[in-house]
Amino acid sequence: MKNSWTGEAVWRSEPAEENLAVAVHRCETGALERLIDRYERALYSYAYGILQNAFDAQEVVQDAMLRAHRALTRQYNEQRCIDLALRPWLFRMTRNLCLNKRRSKTRALEQPLETFDDGRLGPFVRHHGEDAERREDAELLRRAMGALPVEARELIVLRFMEDMSYGEIARTVGATESALRGKVFRSLKLLRDALEKKGVTHAV
Amino acid sequence: MRCRSVLTRIDAMRTGELASTDRDEIHEHIGDCRSCNESVADVDVFAQTIKSLAAAPPRSCRDAVTGKCSDSYARITASGETVWVAFTDRGLRMIHRGGTLEDVRERYANRHARTLTEAKLPEKFRKQVEAALRGEGVDDPQIDWDDDFSGIERDVLKMLTRIPRGEVRTYSWIAQQVGRPGAVRAVGNICARNVVPFVVPCHRVVPASGGVGQYAFGSALKRELLKREGVDVDALEALARKNVRFIGSKTTKIVCFPTCRDARRIREENRVPFQDAAAAEQKGFRPCRKCQPFAARTTSSKSRSSRVSS
Repeated sequence: MKNSWTGEAVWRSEPAEENLAVAVHRCETGALERLIDRYERALYSYAYGILQNAFDAQEVVQDAMLRAHRALTRQYNEQRCIDLALRPWLFRMTRNLCLNKRRSKTRALEQPLETFDDGRLGPFVRHHGEDAERREDAELLRRAMGALPVEARELIVLRFMEDMSYGEIARTVGATESALRGKVFRSLKLLRDALEKKGVTHAV
Repeated sequence: MRCRSVLTRIDAMRTGELASTDRDEIHEHIGDCRSCNESVADVDVFAQTIKSLAAAPPRSCRDAVTGKCSDSYARITASGETVWVAFTDRGLRMIHRGGTLEDVRERYANRHARTLTEAKLPEKFRKQVEAALRGEGVDDPQIDWDDDFSGIERDVLKMLTRIPRGEVRTYSWIAQQVGRPGAVRAVGNICARNVVPFVVPCHRVVPASGGVGQYAFGSALKRELLKREGVDVDALEALARKNVRFIGSKTTKIVCFPTCRDARRIREENRVPFQDAAAAEQKGFRPCRKCQPFAARTTSSKSRSSRVSS
């Protein structure tokens, strides 16, 4: 597809191997490894976007991979694997697991501290120069994302990090494309507001 | 056109996901509206910036997941036989003779829907496989009795492990023992498809009509295995030719299968051959409690329907 503004080709994340689902279904050597290598990072970013917690996100991704393997090898026949839209399917599965986890977490009232949950200690040391500035911006962006409602976070991840088409997002979260266009727009607006509150006026 | 309706579609324009009529409309609006025009560049920049937030998990789940989704295999050689052995930590899952690793993987995937990774066969399992290949017999085979065995398949294979080394039973006897006296043919099929041959001794089952019968790896190997275990195959065939199926002892008045360890130690002068159970009972003989020879009585319809508890 082409960018309708510039006419340039749209950058898409590297396409998945064709029939990867079928390869996993047939238990081909290395197929599961390829599936994990291709999707683990993306699913993790997505899960993190929803859960805002590195530990939970990792657990969810692992669970999703195990479930995907089980479904592809045990529950689905070959035809179903051929017809499967793998990426939205994996994201939807991850999404459901995330929402389950969120629900049980909220009930258990064991929400951990938000500041120390992403596996690193954060930018305590100030660097000078452009590099440091960019890092700071990224940190602000991360915080701003954390302040958004879940729905906004997940749409921003799917659309702008994963570069999903509106069609794929529709299959992942279950909404019409035109509704999603409005939602993505509103999410962007929310994020911009959150950033402005933190004093960042550029980048968005 | 209202700005709002344009703004919601700016992002879809970026990836060319809109119809051409929509595109023309929006291009037209952008030409007039400065604030919408600025948003176009904004969204583009944002799409680039946000990618910096894409995070890698602290630790990849790859090893954990593949570990849970695959089992192990090893290659074992003993007594001139080389086999592929697939196993889990619960026990042996498949023994495959001949073929390539790909054949084994395919067969394993068809049965268990899992992949195989090479690993060292635990000492305990290795000893059992080697002993089975050498014809030494395995007392308590470590089989992973997973859910991929069907009910009758599991019953039959477990029953096979209870046939003592150096003895043989008939297909109908096994069928009777697992409580399915009519399923003689099914027992034959299960033995032929035995996924853990050698260790689960399907070679110890022979046709009631005599001879060693067929074997997944050829009758010659079945004969060889039985000989290694100490079965006098030639004598067994000689008896079958004379239509003798049971051997009784004059002194104890007990009747056994010819290969029963108690039958083998009856002195030559005390041996009484029988063709069927009725003839033995008529002469006041009772069936041996160890080899239970009359369990396989399939001649009368009455015994066909009666179930013998195993």
